Amino acid sequence: MNETAPAIRIEAAAQDAVAREVKIDIRDLNFYYGKAHALKHVSFGVPSNAVTSIIGPSGCGKSTLLRTINRIYELYPEQRATGEVIIDGANVLERGYALSDLRRLVGMVFQKPTPFASSIRSNVGFALNYYDRLSKAELNDRIEDALKQAALWDEVKDKLSASALSLSGGQQQRLCIARAIAVRPEVLLLDEATSALDPISTAKIEELIHELRERFTIVVVTHNMQQAARVSQRTAFFHLGELVEFGNTSDVFTNPREQRTRDYITGRYG
Amino acid sequence: MAVPARRRAADVVAFSFASLATVFGLFWLAWILWTTLAQGAAALTPALFTQMTPPPGASGGLLNAFYGSAVMILLAIVIGTPIGIAAGTYLAEHGRYTRLAATVSFINDILLSAPSIVIGLFVYEVAVRSMGHFSGYAGALALAMILLPIVVRTTEESLRLVPDQMREAGFALGLPRWRVTSRILYRAAQGAIVTGVLLAVARIAGETAPLLFTALNNQFWSSSLNRPLANVPVVIFQYAMSPYDEWHMLAWAGAFVLTAFVLILNLGVRFLARKGGNK
Repeated sequence: MNETAPAIRIEAAAQDAVAREVKIDIRDLNFYYGKAHALKHVSFGVPSNAVTSIIGPSGCGKSTLLRTINRIYELYPEQRATGEVIIDGANVLERGYALSDLRRLVGMVFQKPTPFASSIRSNVGFALNYYDRLSKAELNDRIEDALKQAALWDEVKDKLSASALSLSGGQQQRLCIARAIAVRPEVLLLDEATSALDPISTAKIEELIHELRERFTIVVVTHNMQQAARVSQRTAFFHLGELVEFGNTSDVFTNPREQRTRDYITGRYG
Repeated sequence: MAVPARRRAADVVAFSFASLATVFGLFWLAWILWTTLAQGAAALTPALFTQMTPPPGASGGLLNAFYGSAVMILLAIVIGTPIGIAAGTYLAEHGRYTRLAATVSFINDILLSAPSIVIGLFVYEVAVRSMGHFSGYAGALALAMILLPIVVRTTEESLRLVPDQMREAGFALGLPRWRVTSRILYRAAQGAIVTGVLLAVARIAGETAPLLFTALNNQFWSSSLNRPLANVPVVIFQYAMSPYDEWHMLAWAGAFVLTAFVLILNLGVRFLARKGGNK
């Protein structure tokens, strides 16, 4: 194989080098699991209304970065972050920034589908009642809207009262996406959201990501480089907690600046 | 490939030992059940559930004892379950990584294995002596103290079994901890928590020692919790120790009903667990 020719095919979505407004400005971010330094002086800007993928070998800090943006890491006492994550002008890592505001602004979908043990309807409406006082009709509208956006409506509209656990894995994951977007966030974090799914479900979710980027700023962590090339406009490559390279997806995959990036995307390690 | 003779011999020996031990254990269990069943079934009459404990030489039933036991067990559930679930929730969720929770959890383990007679004596000292008389309240309190650590432990364990991902999914939606706990975690763990409560009830249903010092017993019908209250285990104890045949019969009948109750509770728990497992 030719040294410079990548094994990854670049899809149309990645051929997008338009300058975009920065939605999440990460500045000198450091992250620690106890004494382990998991993210080292990471700085880059996540563009608004586009898909940014985070790639890199296991343990490079991809998921950690995602978990820092919505501060979900704070559930665990040994974990801490320093630096700044600025969304819409405010540093969300600051103590004074209310977690409920942050998590309403930033939705997250996890690797394994996490449906709650209740009906499809109540899963999607789960957080709605907490944030807004909605009438029954408004609530149903919001649920329908979210399920439509998550491309799940046609499959579940006749069984909204059925248990969410009765859905297939791919449907459960789209349900989780619906649940996340029902509260109308502006940023969507997907932490290897397709790695537990079959290829057809994966394709559906990728298609969905493609549609959602018009309305949301999406950050995707993925092990799958083909997926990064298919769905994202920007790619950040991490290695051992450092941001090695960040740029347009097409550039990162066809013409990486760094040798480490080149080695990773040509399959030398990872 | 042929298994060497030595290994095969070791296997036979180990298998025989294990089987014998199982049969040995089951033998006593079957005998106990059979004796209770045979002796108790003969004493089962409608009068058992409609008449009071009789004086020596007369016939009667165990209505007052059944009533007293039911009321005290219910009250113990009402006192112990909410506190136990709340404490278990603290240990598994709010206090999860704190030293305080680890300490409380350890003390709860000690309480869990505390001899029930010690708990009876404690309640005697605290409640009976200060009130000046034996009472159903004191009995219920003693039973609640036996039930409490079991509920704490099972609640803590069943919440810990809920994967962290479920918590993260709830928190990622911006929900506060109480809402994540009440709407997501309790729902995921409810089967296991209910199972724990039922097992705790089965445990306190047969407790005699803590009631001897607290509820004592009552030969007559009394619905007041503020007075000594009849109850099945203590009646069984007193009647079985007595020299009267009628009382012996009633003791067997009480033992039979008590065993049947615990058995049915355990079957219910099994049923619940299976239903939960199928999800």
